Amino acid sequence: MLKTTTPLVPSARKDGDAVIVAARGEIDLNNSPELRSELFLILSRHAPKRLVLNLAEVPYMDSSAVAVLVETLQKLRKLGGRVYLTNLQPRVQGLIEIARLGTIFVIAKDEAEALAKK
Amino acid sequence: MANRAVPQSKGRPGAKGVPPDLRLDVTSDPANLATVRHACEAFCIGCGLGEAAAGDVGLVVNEAMANITRHAYAGATDKPVSVRGHCDARTGDVTITLRDWGSGFNPESVRPKQDPSQPGGLGMVCIRCLVDDSVYSPQPDGMLLTLTKRKRAGLK
Repeated sequence: MLKTTTPLVPSARKDGDAVIVAARGEIDLNNSPELRSELFLILSRHAPKRLVLNLAEVPYMDSSAVAVLVETLQKLRKLGGRVYLTNLQPRVQGLIEIARLGTIFVIAKDEAEALAKK
Repeated sequence: MANRAVPQSKGRPGAKGVPPDLRLDVTSDPANLATVRHACEAFCIGCGLGEAAAGDVGLVVNEAMANITRHAYAGATDKPVSVRGHCDARTGDVTITLRDWGSGFNPESVRPKQDPSQPGGLGMVCIRCLVDDSVYSPQPDGMLLTLTKRKRAGLK
């Protein structure tokens, strides 16, 4: 288990070349900067080839949270990595579709499916 | 908590079968986003919209209020934002207005987001896609945004 310190990102762990991160709660402009800080810290410390973001406990996010995901993807791409989004809840799934993020992120049903993808 | 206003909801009584008007007066602090979003969603449910449609309105209000903080108030978190909601007793359509006293910035002047691999611009896409009408009306001292979500038979 990797060190994480916030209720927004309650857990993160390594699995081979992947880091699996769970987020929790509604994410909007009020707390998306915190999500950004946590994800960027994980990238800088571990430089994973794959970042799996489990959003099972994220019932809502706004465009500022989506911007954080895109920034994270851009940063990881520079390191040769990919970002996987799993366990999308209906409202988050809807926003991902509006933002057409399925074209740039790998969307997976759950962590196992994400880890099975290359 | 210093500049986080407690929303005031003191709507006038609604017509028979519709909820009283929604009245929220908050500061531009993003800490108020969730409260305003949840209040607008609950208001829409009270007006008879389905959960998905109410969620659309909540997201649009969230994005509009975030735009006010970021652009109209240049990031200031202690400025006033007034949110009003009204339900048409005849049609069930919901109208939400957001009033600010900022720079008069009109987000519609910004080019819509085209490239999903670039951050930013999604808020306006949501505003354009998820409600039936969104009208920015410049005021002498700010901006008034009027959002309309129509109630459609069978639409959830």
